[in-house]
Amino acid sequence: MVSYQFMNQKIGVINMLEVQNLKYSYNNDYQALKGVSLKIDEGDMVALLGKNGAGKSTLFLHLNGIYEPDEGKVFIDGEELKYDKKSLLKFRQKVGIVFQNPDDQIFAPTVEEDVAFGPLNLGLPMEEVQDRVEEALARVGMSGTEKIAPHHLSGGQKKRVAIAGILAMKPEIMVLDEPTAGLDPQGVENLVTLLKELNDEGITIVISTHEVDLVPDYANKIFVLVDGELIAEGTPKEIFAQPEVLEKANLKVPIVTELFQQLESEGYDMENDYPLTIREAKDKFLNLINKN
Amino acid sequence: MKFDMDYIAHNNALTEFNPYFKLFLTIILLIVTLALDNLYFDIIIFIIMSFVILAIAKINYKSYLKFLTIPMAFLIITCLFLIFFFGSGEVIYDTKIFGIVVTQNSLHYGVYTFFRVLGCLPCLGFLALTTPIAKVLHCLGTLKVPKIMIEIGLLMYNTIFIFLNEIDTMQKAQQTRLGYHSYTTSFKSLGALVSTIFLRSLDKSEILQNSLDSRGYNGELPVYEPKDRSN
Repeated sequence: MVSYQFMNQKIGVINMLEVQNLKYSYNNDYQALKGVSLKIDEGDMVALLGKNGAGKSTLFLHLNGIYEPDEGKVFIDGEELKYDKKSLLKFRQKVGIVFQNPDDQIFAPTVEEDVAFGPLNLGLPMEEVQDRVEEALARVGMSGTEKIAPHHLSGGQKKRVAIAGILAMKPEIMVLDEPTAGLDPQGVENLVTLLKELNDEGITIVISTHEVDLVPDYANKIFVLVDGELIAEGTPKEIFAQPEVLEKANLKVPIVTELFQQLESEGYDMENDYPLTIREAKDKFLNLINKN
Repeated sequence: MKFDMDYIAHNNALTEFNPYFKLFLTIILLIVTLALDNLYFDIIIFIIMSFVILAIAKINYKSYLKFLTIPMAFLIITCLFLIFFFGSGEVIYDTKIFGIVVTQNSLHYGVYTFFRVLGCLPCLGFLALTTPIAKVLHCLGTLKVPKIMIEIGLLMYNTIFIFLNEIDTMQKAQQTRLGYHSYTTSFKSLGALVSTIFLRSLDKSEILQNSLDSRGYNGELPVYEPKDRSN
């Protein structure tokens, strides 16, 4: 039922991001991407799953033209990515990448200067830049930290500033490399809430991760990357119903799902429908209790 | 106690004080102290500026002493060298070792150098301890200092903190495994630390370049000058 509604919603939507047969090798030696193709629709919230070294970060750096592929093409909003200076500026505004380690991204001596960096590079007038900085910082809940030196912030706060720096460029697609890595549980929850809100406001979001528990909660589509190749794509329900895919990618089903699989081996019939999130699990439990 | 100069610069009674005034005061005092050949003047400057730092900027005296220790160590070593190994003229003390002597000339140089530098330290400290680096760089920018120097200064300043953290972490990891237990292991550990830091800095610089490029960096850091909208 849910997926049917979802399909309906998506009719007539253009591809926001398309990657065709992308190949890339480091030093002509180690092939990091072996022909990756994927399509992401406008307004999607996508999770890219894969173990460390699967090529997630390498793929991401192709999406705004930091890396130029050996073979293959990238399309943003239906337009092919070109590598001259002018086009790159345009595409880098459209596709914002939030790096895994905020220390790699935040370089300015104060928070506001760092957030202003992107918009200033776009050549916007100072007034507009200031509006955007204030708006972006308010959006991530970091208003009032404008004059603070970034290295005096906590890890979660730095992450928020890094996201604000990208938001201030008003991207259409936001790509986050392992955004939950190194955050405490509260920080993770706040971050996921923020990303969901941004997604509701129309930003297409791509997240790489290997923390499977949260994925069904936010993602409506999953891609699984193993050794530079996409081995599966689909909704969370479809992906987590394929043990052989998970096995190949060194992944597991969410811990909730595991519970219900074990319950099934104890003799409870799950009718091939395993809950992925806490909410689904709660409903399923109530059903089972009422039945017995 | 951990000494964090940047934290002090952001949190003292003079942080919000006009940075141009602080910058010019420092530069003028430095020039005067270096130019005037007067021991009393050097000592008076030292006392006055120390007073400003401790009483007006209200910086903790322990932090101030820490700030002074490192340059002081260099200063003392340098002046000892000056006294024993330089200068010519009348010999006033003969150590009888390899003909090393103290002459009138060298003693004069050593003592005067010591006090001049001593006078300069709190002047520099005044700027470094009361003004966040962002403000200093901003001032220099408006004073037409070449942009490239300011950009290099800014990126260096930022990365210093990342590296200090990294060095701290690595050193603790080495200590945990008794990396500094004896002299030989200390040397080995320090060597490993330095080479790892070098390799990491290459990695980090590439990632930083990527992340700057991702936000449209074109080789020049733009200046952000927001208007005050607090009312």
